[in-house]
Amino acid sequence: MGVTESARRLWVVTSLTLRYLLGTRRVIAMLLLSAIPFILALSLAAGRVSAFNIDLFQRLMIPLFLQVVLIFVTLVNATTLIREEIEDNTLPYLLTRPISKPAVVLYKYIGYLVAVLVLLVPPIVLAYGVTEAYQGTTLATDLDVLGGFLVATLIGSAAYGAVFLFVSVLVRKPLAVGLLFGFVWESIVGSIPGDVPKLSVIHYLKSILQGMIAVGPMTTYGSDISAGIAVLILVGFSVAMIVLAMMLFQQMEFRQKA
Amino acid sequence: MSAVAEAAGVSKWYGEVLGLNAFTASFGTGITGLVGPNGAGKSTLFKLLIGQLHANQGTLQLLGENPWNNVPMMRRLGYCPEHNQMYGWLSGQQFVEALLRLDGMPAAKASKEASAALKVVGLSGAAHRPTRTYSRGMRQRAKLAQALAHDPEVLILDEPLSGADPMARVQILRTIADFAKDGGHVLMSTHVLYEIERITNNIVLIHNGKAIASGDIHAIRALIDEHPHAVRFETSQPRQLAQALARMDHVVSLEVPAEDTLVIRTRKPDAFYKELPGIVADTKLEVRGLESPDDSLEAVFRYLVG
Repeated sequence: MGVTESARRLWVVTSLTLRYLLGTRRVIAMLLLSAIPFILALSLAAGRVSAFNIDLFQRLMIPLFLQVVLIFVTLVNATTLIREEIEDNTLPYLLTRPISKPAVVLYKYIGYLVAVLVLLVPPIVLAYGVTEAYQGTTLATDLDVLGGFLVATLIGSAAYGAVFLFVSVLVRKPLAVGLLFGFVWESIVGSIPGDVPKLSVIHYLKSILQGMIAVGPMTTYGSDISAGIAVLILVGFSVAMIVLAMMLFQQMEFRQKA
Repeated sequence: MSAVAEAAGVSKWYGEVLGLNAFTASFGTGITGLVGPNGAGKSTLFKLLIGQLHANQGTLQLLGENPWNNVPMMRRLGYCPEHNQMYGWLSGQQFVEALLRLDGMPAAKASKEASAALKVVGLSGAAHRPTRTYSRGMRQRAKLAQALAHDPEVLILDEPLSGADPMARVQILRTIADFAKDGGHVLMSTHVLYEIERITNNIVLIHNGKAIASGDIHAIRALIDEHPHAVRFETSQPRQLAQALARMDHVVSLEVPAEDTLVIRTRKPDAFYKELPGIVADTKLEVRGLESPDDSLEAVFRYLVG
């Protein structure tokens, strides 16, 4: 199969995925959830909260955006990628075309990544803009904070998406397992002192923030790895999860739903 | 080519449920009907043939190859699933076009071929409507269009007439017959023998996961004619439709079990299906869909398997 044909298949599967994730009614709930950082920043500015500055922005966005919004948006979107096709009986249309099962997984994951970044990036940028405007500084003043959150959003979306995609291939009810991982495992393991947090994704996301942001609450986080290493670890973890999902999917059988 | 598909002692089970039980049959060139009641194992066999299931025992070949995870073979195959779900937010044109692009076709060619395939199945007028607005008959035709648009060697059609209205049935059968006339091979499942009889004499009878008979359809026709054939209509005018159909002398009973349903039984199903489109067109009565409950066929199978 040629590169051109593979590119066409990539385009079709990612387009179908994007249209499903962003073009159907389900996107309304996702947009509202993703907008929480922006709505919060606007509310703080409108309420003229005197303590509202870039430091408070960080203190609020880490637990709210990274540990709730990011996890929930990636969970809902990544777990539907394969599972919805199976439940809706639309998978046979893809699998009776000359495209391998692992390629379907990979292309859908790429579509997912684009979709969640479209959902998650604008609100965090807008929230940052509101914060800078409210404290009377230019948009370029705290670019390290914006950069840190954007990298954490990108890498976090990739890592959580890969885990949730793997879970959705592995089990029939991926949402429940994903909720346990995203909100129980990540919260508990991520808050235990010592080396245990290294078993959580959030630890590396916080390490990215610690390494990239000059001033703020994350400077004292205490991670012993640089932002670059944290990025590499999460990218490697994401690749491993995707490869596992592809291998598992390759051996899966599909019995038509009644 | 001696056989399009061959199964030798193929068994497939889902946990403790047996889908296919040492199924052995050979599907020749042209059109072959796989006939059996619901739950007989037709869809399981087709899922094995398109490589979505893996046999627990036995060997299975389609076009001389093992279909399991056989990506290149998919170019030679067109598949129409039993279920009517589609990507509802896509139009018929976008649906067929997207699937053609998965075959590696350039955009312009895919668009042209999709339009041509939708024209063949009589869906040109609705090509740009979202498929979620399609009736069951239109969905069947859209599914058939995507299956044949890339000009495959073999079509595998799982209950392609199920739920289709009389006009759609005529269109679908004509399309299948034309595909075979042009040298294509068709494996088509149905639980209504009379449907397949209009386009082929070659059938394989399947019951409880086993092939119980195969060959010329006429050998079992006399047997089947002894059992009145039931047809269930979905219509908003069941009583008016009953009046119109009662004029056929071979109709032995009429029943209106619900406000939008009519069930008739006939001793001459072939004559019935031949006359039906004309009656519906003349009376202009609304028929949203029709299907045959498989109890009449079930009786025949019970007889065949003793």
